[in-house]
Amino acid sequence: MGSRAKILAKIKANKPDSLELPHIDPSIFDEGLNLVQEFTKKVEVVGGNVREIKSNIDAISQVKTLFPDVKVNFSTLENTKDFNTLDLSSIKSPQDLEDLDILILESDLAVAENGAVWVADSQLPFRVLPFITKHLVLVVSKKHIVPYMHQAYLKLNNAPTDFGVFISGPSKTADIEQSLVIGAHGALSLTVFLKF
Amino acid sequence: MKVGLFIPCYINQLYPQVGQATLELLEKLNVEVVYPSGQTCCGQPMANSGYESESVGACHHFVNNFKDFDYIVTPSGSCAYHVKKHYNIIPQTDDVTKVRNNVYELCDFILNVLKVKDLGASFPHKVGVHKSCHGLRGLRLGSCSERVTPEYSYIEELLKEVKGVELMPIKRSDECCGFGGTFAVTEEAVSVKMGKDKIKDHLESGVEVITATDTSCLMHLEGLVTRNKQPLKILHIAEILNSNL
Amino acid sequence: MSHPQLASIFNKDEKKVNWHDKALWFVRHKRDMSVHHVQGWEELRNLGHGIKAHMLSNLNSYLEEFEANAKKNGVEVHWAATAEEHNQIVHKILRENNAKKVVKSKSMLTEECHLNPYLEADGIEVVDTDLGERIVQLAKEPPSHIVLPAIHKNKHEVDELFQEHLGTKPCDGDPQYLTGEARKHLRQKFIEADAAITGVNFAIAETGGFVVCTNEGNADMGAHIAPIHIACMGVEKIIPKLEHLGVFLRLLARSATGQPVTTYSSHFKKPKADKKMHIVIVDNGRSEQLSRPDFRASLHCIRCGACMNTCPIYRRSGGHSYDATIPGPIGSILSPGKDLTKHSSLPFASTLCGSCSDVCPVKIDIHSQLYKWRQIITKNTPQPFIKKKSMQMMGNIFAKPKKFEKVGKIARWSLRNLPKSLINSKPNAWGKARDLPEGPKQSFDEWYNERQQNKNN
Repeated sequence: MGSRAKILAKIKANKPDSLELPHIDPSIFDEGLNLVQEFTKKVEVVGGNVREIKSNIDAISQVKTLFPDVKVNFSTLENTKDFNTLDLSSIKSPQDLEDLDILILESDLAVAENGAVWVADSQLPFRVLPFITKHLVLVVSKKHIVPYMHQAYLKLNNAPTDFGVFISGPSKTADIEQSLVIGAHGALSLTVFLKF
Repeated sequence: MKVGLFIPCYINQLYPQVGQATLELLEKLNVEVVYPSGQTCCGQPMANSGYESESVGACHHFVNNFKDFDYIVTPSGSCAYHVKKHYNIIPQTDDVTKVRNNVYELCDFILNVLKVKDLGASFPHKVGVHKSCHGLRGLRLGSCSERVTPEYSYIEELLKEVKGVELMPIKRSDECCGFGGTFAVTEEAVSVKMGKDKIKDHLESGVEVITATDTSCLMHLEGLVTRNKQPLKILHIAEILNSNL
Repeated sequence: MSHPQLASIFNKDEKKVNWHDKALWFVRHKRDMSVHHVQGWEELRNLGHGIKAHMLSNLNSYLEEFEANAKKNGVEVHWAATAEEHNQIVHKILRENNAKKVVKSKSMLTEECHLNPYLEADGIEVVDTDLGERIVQLAKEPPSHIVLPAIHKNKHEVDELFQEHLGTKPCDGDPQYLTGEARKHLRQKFIEADAAITGVNFAIAETGGFVVCTNEGNADMGAHIAPIHIACMGVEKIIPKLEHLGVFLRLLARSATGQPVTTYSSHFKKPKADKKMHIVIVDNGRSEQLSRPDFRASLHCIRCGACMNTCPIYRRSGGHSYDATIPGPIGSILSPGKDLTKHSSLPFASTLCGSCSDVCPVKIDIHSQLYKWRQIITKNTPQPFIKKKSMQMMGNIFAKPKKFEKVGKIARWSLRNLPKSLINSKPNAWGKARDLPEGPKQSFDEWYNERQQNKNN
């Protein structure tokens, strides 16, 4: 008997009688959050910044002021082709993205309680993009902020994706004496642009 | 209401004054309280050391002593907890179930059964409360800092009514003192360190008297305070509630 | 060495104990600040507990469901009954792909299986990429905490370690500089890697996908750059549905560090067309633990480390004093199931204060399980003769009031009359740093009887 069969048989023999699966009722957690306010607060708590934008053009111009020295840019926003200095068709492997300074992505899901923004595969020509970039800018519409993770997963249930990630703030570590350092392996900074 | 006074073994032998204060306090409250003679121990020292089976005799003896009372009251959260939680190792006769259901820690009994808060005591001192773990997290004699629940504390509720008591907050409100029964001996180094840290927390808060629902924790703290000649008095809650200074 | 021996060595440096205790209490405090703002936190814990208990009671079906869906997603699924088999499987995958350089993100499972030395023996370079893990790897030590692997090291030690291994400049332990240098050093490793190994926080039966949580982004840097991603998981990492992540991701980071969620919660499902994804499902004693009704809830654990941060003994004895892959309270209920004799001192490394059970996001009754392991250990492992005899003696005395009275009298007399030097001499560990109470002349029993007699007269 192979290990698979052995393990499954042993578990079957050893498990307790079936216990009921509890039902999740998200309403018991509801505190009536002001979504934009809570989301903004939480992004700041986790080391990110939140700004308002009027349009994609506005996003680009704000990025240029916020990051004046960047050289290698890439954006997946509509109508921002001019901004891109990176030609993805020339990228053969993820390693070639090492010099990326700034990446702008759009998301249609963010979570107020923890400042997390969902980034899905469909937005990512290379999955490593939001991690390898030095600075990450995420654009979210205010109407796409949900209060808690429960609502987020209700939405994700209907939008299956091959890879996706909740990003809450820039990469960080406190592994040296519990001192928080922003910028571990992933992005050194995270800015969220909120639009209507 | 017939109340049996349960005096744990180490209080009986080493801290009789705690038993005396408990008895006097209950009598003051007009409780018909009887101390069944021939009490020994609830069995906890053996059970917590992994020798539950050796405690069976003590369990039966305890049940025999107390099976006829409506309530069993003890100045020890830890022993009450042991009876409630761990007397599942003997057959669950009606007597055993009754005893397990009716055993109460002193403050819990006064506040929630007698429903009395003000005991007319006075004690003009700065008091620091040590929330003994078995009473706190076992019997839930107060809210626990780990859990998200409304705040309460039976011992503090009673202390607040004592004239002259100034309750001093400490930084780590419900961290263990490091007694832990045989742990105090088998893990001597850590046990002593925990006790020292606990005392430091109280001293830094300006506490004059440390009190608790359990003499076991207090014996450990007193041992350190005496050895290190620290300016602290250690008293069981019954002694404070029974005092009229 | 046993826990008390290692703990007493750790306690020789009181300053270090204070520092260690404070650092971890700070994490517990951050956890409190965070969870006390979550409405329905206790209900959330109940859900976490309930979902895990349900999962375990249907584990074989969920594993099969997970496997079928993962295969549909183009993921190769492997099964390992033991640590040895796990290592062989990973090794085989690497060899078949001619992978010589491996980056690994935090995985307590690969630590449990001792994967690194196994691969290194064949000349494969394995680099731990979580900063804390990298620090202990360079120091040739095991992690001392499951979330904060290098919590036992101060910044000056890290400074020296990096000077020696990474050629950094002396910086007086500046965490910012040291982290920056580690980023550069590990960035190179990510770029060169032939394969990435990650752990799994949650594996979702209904989708065949799995979630990996990090703050540093190291799991993603590894998995998305290297051509092969191997994810290793214990059988108990399964959750039934995607929506259950809503519960567990809310619980995990808050309990671990006080963050509202980890920086990255990465949901892997299908590999990219040009890449390979493997999942290794490992038993290694878990199905055995499942057979023990008193202890199976230990498999609910989501590895947040909160029980370590809150444990007053862990904080004052250090993770290494447990001499087990998973230290602290949760480790002390998991490890005896694997090797009862080796880990027999761990369930006793507790005052049974219960803080671990109350802090646990999935409500494992840790301290009750410690108590239960104690009962098993005294029956099944060799116990010191004196301990055994004295327990029998106590049991005997406490069952017979006459005997108890006599012994009590002698004890009180001794405490009153024997010299302190004798009372506190070596065999009495209590007396090393603590005094014993003065023995009162009268026991309560005697006082009460006298009082009754006076009343009757």
